[in-house]
Amino acid sequence: MATRTVNDIAKAIHEMTKGKVGVELDAVSKNVVNFLARKRLLRKQKDILLRLEKITNEEEGIIEAGLTSASLLPEKEKKELATFLKKRYGREKVIFKEKIDERLIGGFKVEVNDEVVDVSIKNKIGKLQEYLTRAV
Amino acid sequence: MNKNHIVQNLRKEIENYSAALHVEKVGKVMEVFDGIAKVSGLSDIKSSEMVTFSSGATGVALNLEEDAVGVIILGDFSKIKEGDEVKATGKILEIPVSDSVLGRVVNAIGLPIDGKGAIKAGKTYPIEKVAPGVVTRQSVDQPVSTGIKAIDAIIPVGRGQRELIIGDRQTGKTALAIDTILNQKGQNMICVYVSIGQKDSKLRKLGALLEEGGAMDYTVIVSAGASEAAAMSYIAPYSGVSIAEYFMDQGKDVLIIYDDLSKHAVAYREISLLLCRPPGREAYPGDVFYLHSRLLERACRRNAKYGGGSITAFPIIETQAGDISAYIPTNVISITDGQIFLETDLFYKGIRPAVNVGSSVSRVGSSAQIKAMKKVAGTLKLDLAQFRELEAFSQFGSDLDDSTKRQLERGKRSVEILKQLQYAPVKTEHQVVTFYALTKGYMDDVAIDKIKEFEAGLLEYTEQNAKFFYKDVRETKMWTEQGEEQLKQAIVDFKASFRK
Repeated sequence: MATRTVNDIAKAIHEMTKGKVGVELDAVSKNVVNFLARKRLLRKQKDILLRLEKITNEEEGIIEAGLTSASLLPEKEKKELATFLKKRYGREKVIFKEKIDERLIGGFKVEVNDEVVDVSIKNKIGKLQEYLTRAV
Repeated sequence: MNKNHIVQNLRKEIENYSAALHVEKVGKVMEVFDGIAKVSGLSDIKSSEMVTFSSGATGVALNLEEDAVGVIILGDFSKIKEGDEVKATGKILEIPVSDSVLGRVVNAIGLPIDGKGAIKAGKTYPIEKVAPGVVTRQSVDQPVSTGIKAIDAIIPVGRGQRELIIGDRQTGKTALAIDTILNQKGQNMICVYVSIGQKDSKLRKLGALLEEGGAMDYTVIVSAGASEAAAMSYIAPYSGVSIAEYFMDQGKDVLIIYDDLSKHAVAYREISLLLCRPPGREAYPGDVFYLHSRLLERACRRNAKYGGGSITAFPIIETQAGDISAYIPTNVISITDGQIFLETDLFYKGIRPAVNVGSSVSRVGSSAQIKAMKKVAGTLKLDLAQFRELEAFSQFGSDLDDSTKRQLERGKRSVEILKQLQYAPVKTEHQVVTFYALTKGYMDDVAIDKIKEFEAGLLEYTEQNAKFFYKDVRETKMWTEQGEEQLKQAIVDFKASFRK
């Protein structure tokens, strides 16, 4: 038996619900939940929903970017960052998931999917430490 | 060094440093167990790419799945937690190599473990490399002098050859390898000893032995001990051969010993099963043949146009109760250019090294044997085979004709001559003299229990009284008539004095 990955299920759900509204959507959703329950996949619902979110985001040209900073970033900087990210990934909209982490000391860290740009002071200090303690 | 000086240095270093900004590929640890980590993310990772964990450990990506990567962890995995960040490095696993690695003991990733401080790093070499191609190779024609009579005479090994040492536990496999390393002094050879899954106490003993014999000047020990993770055992031989390649690239001849590949296969089986790769025969994964063939294929003799140099490999395989038809032994036998069989029976009969000359072969080495040795030892293998047959036969009957009796007597003396103490390698020219005396019948009337004594005395005497012969063999690899006459005379003279 071919294995059914979470990704496959999310894709299938996305295909089924595409373009459906109102009563129709309700019916489909009910079927999906029934199916998941029957196949004992409900315990994976969190993963499936995450995947589904990713798929719909891709479809609609949205990127989610995790933004961690030492202090709240001013709106202007965020806008600049958004234009940069839109250009880099060729999407239309950027949704920031902001987090404040004082341990970064200063600067910020952007995460998109599995790519990370870390311009925090903490990272820079870490790198400097690596450089100074390297074996010559 | 005063305080100001330190501060100044530090300032200079910091000024030199520039933090380049770049996008990093990261993943998150989903699960960790038994030296394996499942990592999510890391979308563009290559197979066998190096990754670093936030705890500082490094790993190698082995399994690339749809939404996870199976990583083997090199080093301590107890500090890695679920959710830890994993960074891709974009590099295939590399180890530092340099000339100063000679005389050192390093672990599987090239870091020193002998407590003699850091090794000055020169270059880095990837541990996985495609073996040299056909056009860069040359056939084997230079001998490796092992210093072991049974091997140099009957199963000669050439530079660039792959000769398997196979036998049960406690039959002297490692001893054979160590003797060979000890004998490489002044032979223009670099030695790499890769210890895989061995006890640290054994390694310590070996290290001390090599040190004592002055062999550490040209030897590197790569060790993945029994207490380390299977991942280290898995990569150790590849690291070893990378170090060997570094020296070969300088045009040097290198001898590498893998002790032993059975444990290597077991380590790889462990990793494969943990990574959920389907098991095959004896639960080994499907690519266990390729595991060893790609390693041993990197042993080669390169022609002068491509820089020369050679890597001679001595893989060791431990069999269970002499079963050479098990999976791994048959694989490695078919990969190598010959094998040296060591047998428990012979060992306990007192024939040490316990080489079974009947079933040991060297498929390419005979073209590397020096002419003088070929001349004296050419018929030895056949003689011994006939002797074994006659020996079994003669147990039934007592009436034997003279020629059979002679053959039996000669055979008994041949067996006696091939016995050799551990850590006592014999020089090639001495071997030639011994076998000359044996095959020309000069030893036929020496009592068997006196043979060893006779041999020792003969070598000492002839070295003084047959200098031409020795000089010829050393320089031209063959004797002249004049030298032979001198040697014959010396043997006769010595025999006369030995009788008294």
